[in-house]
Amino acid sequence: MLAIITTNLLRSRARTVFTAGGVAVGVATIVALLSFTQGLRDTADEFIHLGGSELGIFQANVSDPTASILPASIVGRIAAQPDVAAATPLLLMIEAVESTPSAVVFGADPGGFFTHNLVIVAGERARSGGREILIGDRLAEQLHLAPGGMLVVKGQTYRVAGVYHSGVLFEDSGAVLALAQAQQLSGRAGEETDVVVQLAPGAHASAAGTAIEHSFPGTQVISAPQQALRAGANGTLISNAILVIVVIALIVGAISVANTMAMSIMERQGELALLSTVGWSPTRVASLIFGEGIAVSMLGAALGLLIGVIGGGLLVHALGVSAYVSPSVTAWGLGRALLVGVAIGVLGGIYPAWRVTRMTPLKALSGT
Amino acid sequence: MSQGAGAGAGAAVIVDRVSKSFGQISALREVSLKVEAGEAVAIAGRSGSGKSTLLSLIGGLEQSDTGEVLIDGRAIWKEPRPARARREIVGFVFQRHLLLGTLSARANVEVPLIGAGVHRAERHTRARSLLEEVGLADRADHLPHELSGGERQRVAVARALANRPHLLLADEPTGALDSHTSERVLDLLFGLRDSLGMTMIVVSYDEAVGARADRTVTLIDGRIQSAAAPSSAPGEPRPSPAVSPSSPTTSRSARAG
Repeated sequence: MLAIITTNLLRSRARTVFTAGGVAVGVATIVALLSFTQGLRDTADEFIHLGGSELGIFQANVSDPTASILPASIVGRIAAQPDVAAATPLLLMIEAVESTPSAVVFGADPGGFFTHNLVIVAGERARSGGREILIGDRLAEQLHLAPGGMLVVKGQTYRVAGVYHSGVLFEDSGAVLALAQAQQLSGRAGEETDVVVQLAPGAHASAAGTAIEHSFPGTQVISAPQQALRAGANGTLISNAILVIVVIALIVGAISVANTMAMSIMERQGELALLSTVGWSPTRVASLIFGEGIAVSMLGAALGLLIGVIGGGLLVHALGVSAYVSPSVTAWGLGRALLVGVAIGVLGGIYPAWRVTRMTPLKALSGT
Repeated sequence: MSQGAGAGAGAAVIVDRVSKSFGQISALREVSLKVEAGEAVAIAGRSGSGKSTLLSLIGGLEQSDTGEVLIDGRAIWKEPRPARARREIVGFVFQRHLLLGTLSARANVEVPLIGAGVHRAERHTRARSLLEEVGLADRADHLPHELSGGERQRVAVARALANRPHLLLADEPTGALDSHTSERVLDLLFGLRDSLGMTMIVVSYDEAVGARADRTVTLIDGRIQSAAAPSSAPGEPRPSPAVSPSSPTTSRSARAG
């Protein structure tokens, strides 16, 4: 049976390749988007652990975290919470570095744990009051900048005081400015986008988060990557888009496979009738057609996995979001894409296989 | 002929007042025919007389509108698994060989065995043995387009015998062959019938087929007009199958041994 399936697929190579190609595009899209989403999740995980924090506090119901606005006065009150060991404000600025729009500039309190936790690998910490900035090692590499160099942020030029490494993609691809200067640059005096928190020993993140949200109505505490993705409308949009694309890939792929197999059985009526004549049961003949459908979609799925893995990386670069997201391919992501490939074959094979079972040998033989 | 490669004993065929229409056209009208186990019957008639339709009904490829076809008492279309019954009883040879072009001669012979769920090793052995029987052992790995017309038809005969049928049905088996090749294919078919003892019904215009058969049934406009046995036949004398006197188409004379 397997040999017959193989030879049948090889017989119409062009058709097999085009059908498999159609399935591959669908599967590749799914793989790329899943790896992209996984990358976002990983980034979100880093996002809530900025500067070694355990909780991030944002304004509730904002379109994305950078749109959050919190009053500066809230920081001290959060720090006074029983479960909180330290709290420091951050002002996130995106598209602030003209030469590298994807770089995030963090406005941070020079005395807070966020700034203190940065490991300086070149130069020194920025002096308070000076027009100085710290840059991450990835950004430094990207812009070929070293201490003493100049970086333009929102039209203002800053001297690079030092280069840091934190191990967080977000931070290492960005720059850190004194909070006051960042507030002045963005016109948000007395405001920040979020407050990051280190918990007291023995404190539970979820319990502490609930307590903070209760104490500060209108805030949202994020302690898990899923919460970070949900907190932003973009995350929800991406999740929904993936679902839509999966459904479209299934429908288009299944129609493509069904069309190919239906054409194939029309051309091969005589051959299929012969199989029936020599004693193949309708179920077995249908299995042959079904098997061919699944084989072609599996071929497409395998191709799609390869293209998707490569395409995921290319997509991130094409969108210019490599500073935020590094595509992450997981076995579960590949498995899901493969399942879609198999589902395409199964769905696409049902109708042609059913048609084969309705054919009578004589009619088919006389039609050849 | 080794018994391992070929068919079992012949099957008795009863066609009882069978009619078949295709739309407004009556292909067969109240046709009755009785073929004894081991008998070789030729069915003759002009184009459109219903020969192939009768063969298809006997082989269970099509269902009659009225009447009944019984092979060894079994009505294929009434069996719970008609395909299985067909596979157990009948082997087909067509005018065109209908070999699968992408498969070798050996693989083509194996196709019915795949349908029967025969294990791979057993399939190989039986296919090789059958190709040997039809004189094509050295052509087993050739594709159909690499074989001559006669060789392809011999592969088709080997394929028809793969499931050891009790009844071999051949529809114009020499219709697409030249006279010399036709002779060889008929030698093969009737030789196999003699050695294996299976029943054989051959639809053919070819008078040589009628001359070799135990009797000839002629169809005109969907009705049986005559049933005759040749007064003499070439080749070795064959045992005479009994012809039922109750048959509506009994032969004029039984072949003498």
